[in-house]
Amino acid sequence: MVAIVKEDNKLKSVELREQNGSWEILWARSSEGADADWALFAVECGLSLEPTGQTGADGDRKVVVGFNSAGTVFHRTTVPAVGAKEIASIVQLQAESRLPLPAEQIELAWRTESVQGGNMGITMAVARREQLRGFAQNVRRFRPEKILLDCEGIVRAWRTIFAGAERKAVVLSVGAWSTQVCLAENGRLSNAVVLDMGLEDFLTDAAQEQTETTERFTQDMRSVLELFGCAGQAELPVFVLSDGGPVYVSIVSSLRLAGFNTRVALPDAGRLSARSELGAEGLYEYRAPIGLALMALDGREDELNIFARLYSPTEKKEKKHWLYSPKLAGAAASVMLLLLALVAFAVDVKSPKAIQERLKASVSDADMDLLVERQELIRTVARQRPNVLELLKLVSGSGEKGITLNSLHFKKGQSVTISGEAGSNDQLRKFEKGLQDTKGIEDVACTPTMDSKGKKVTFKMTFHYKNFTKKKTAAQSLSLGRS
Amino acid sequence: MIEKLSQKDIRAVKLGAVGAALILLFVLASEWHERWTAAKAEAAELDAKLKAIDVDKARQAGLTSIVPAFEMPLVEDEQSFLFRDKLSEQLKKAGIKNKPLKVQAGRKSPRTGYTLLHVTCSAKCRFSQALDLLAGLNENPYLVGIEEFRIKVDPKKRQEVDLDLVVSTFASLPKKRGGS
Repeated sequence: MVAIVKEDNKLKSVELREQNGSWEILWARSSEGADADWALFAVECGLSLEPTGQTGADGDRKVVVGFNSAGTVFHRTTVPAVGAKEIASIVQLQAESRLPLPAEQIELAWRTESVQGGNMGITMAVARREQLRGFAQNVRRFRPEKILLDCEGIVRAWRTIFAGAERKAVVLSVGAWSTQVCLAENGRLSNAVVLDMGLEDFLTDAAQEQTETTERFTQDMRSVLELFGCAGQAELPVFVLSDGGPVYVSIVSSLRLAGFNTRVALPDAGRLSARSELGAEGLYEYRAPIGLALMALDGREDELNIFARLYSPTEKKEKKHWLYSPKLAGAAASVMLLLLALVAFAVDVKSPKAIQERLKASVSDADMDLLVERQELIRTVARQRPNVLELLKLVSGSGEKGITLNSLHFKKGQSVTISGEAGSNDQLRKFEKGLQDTKGIEDVACTPTMDSKGKKVTFKMTFHYKNFTKKKTAAQSLSLGRS
Repeated sequence: MIEKLSQKDIRAVKLGAVGAALILLFVLASEWHERWTAAKAEAAELDAKLKAIDVDKARQAGLTSIVPAFEMPLVEDEQSFLFRDKLSEQLKKAGIKNKPLKVQAGRKSPRTGYTLLHVTCSAKCRFSQALDLLAGLNENPYLVGIEEFRIKVDPKKRQEVDLDLVVSTFASLPKKRGGS
């Protein structure tokens, strides 16, 4: 089990193995520079990144990541021992009141404790969703199995490495610039606060026994214990996790002077075996990742999993209703297509037969063909038949007094020719224009000739009558046929 | 038996089965497609027949005004006789004394399966008689159309005209049988 955590701007990682009921540290590593990249560090630790996703060398190695709980608000409360749904509602309401953000912007994790006197203790952790999402995005590439709160790892490490056995105790994990104050009850975290004061602050003022820093620290500790609901519990043990350095003794002394029941907790190297000697300093240095790895090896599922809704090591496939299955949709579409083809086929096969049967009932096959042929012939005849009587009427209707017609000649495919006499050129022009304006008559051409006496104008006129007199091309014949 | 097969063998068997299924499907689909194509062709033919018969009222009225009477063409001899007979009757009805009608056979028909017969009629008559003839000509059930029409007024007697008329009729080609 590999555990990685970010502490004092450094990434720290250990790999732990459980063997015959004891634990062995296979290796421990920390990043060189500050603000190291999670994925790069994971690669340095021998972990593979996405998208390989292959088990390969990492097949048996599980990874957990610690989330710095500085931005997490913890709250300890008691509720009447009611149903799970009711508890969830109560917890949700309390969480919203603790963190003044809308419900959709927070993530909440909680766990219940044992029931005492009809009341149930509840530990809850609340954090901003965006912050958690950003963190999950950073670590997603090497697919950790879980993301745990580092303060839970601290408590777990205190129990194992620092031999913490008290039922209720306050555990201080002093970092370079901050201090985690965890309330442990029955070996589990029940509340936590991060103070913005760390080892660096104490080192600066190490020379003076009672400084402003220690004064502020003890004040903060009083406030924290009050927040934990432990104010006035002078006997409550306060453990300062230590690597044996003098600064921790100084912190303990300061707290003792302030009336706290403080003790130094030193790591017990015998609790864990290590391939390479880590020593007390090493165990202290890697207390948080060791604690997280131990938690993961415990296999308990009651940790405060604040990332439950935001992160999963495997891509969560939303369970969709079987109706939304693409395979089913494809199969249904194929069946529908087949049915459509079958119906179309059946219609195409059966319809003509049905119509033929109905027709046969009224007319025989021969009669049917004859009927069709007759209709086609009538249409052809209608197209071939000019109305000569109408032509005569059109010609005579276009003239006026003084126009005398002598002859008219109509022949299919040739211009109609008329000849006659007119009283004057003016009359002839009017007659010609009248014809030109008549519907069905086109391309009127007139050849006038004055008679020898000069009194009358004889003329010969040609024009087209509809399409009958035009020489038909194949295309025209076709269009006529259609009309 | 199956246990003895390697993964490669199993894959080959699967591919073979899929191939066989595809061949069978192809054969069945081809047969089906042929039947479908034939059925569609049959349906299209029937549809064309129905469309030929099923004419809307307005169009049918238009056709009837142009072709008020129609008899299916017969073979050339019979058709020629019937057409001339009817035409003569119409000429007589109009009071036109015509010269003997001349028949010209073997004209190209606008419709396959038929030939056009031209009948030429020449007469000297009054203009009104010519109009009467033209007015009743469409009643001839064998008439296809007027191919040529020439009318010339006698300059001395303007009521009298020289009339030359060429009319046509369909005659079915010998291998086809027609009927009225």
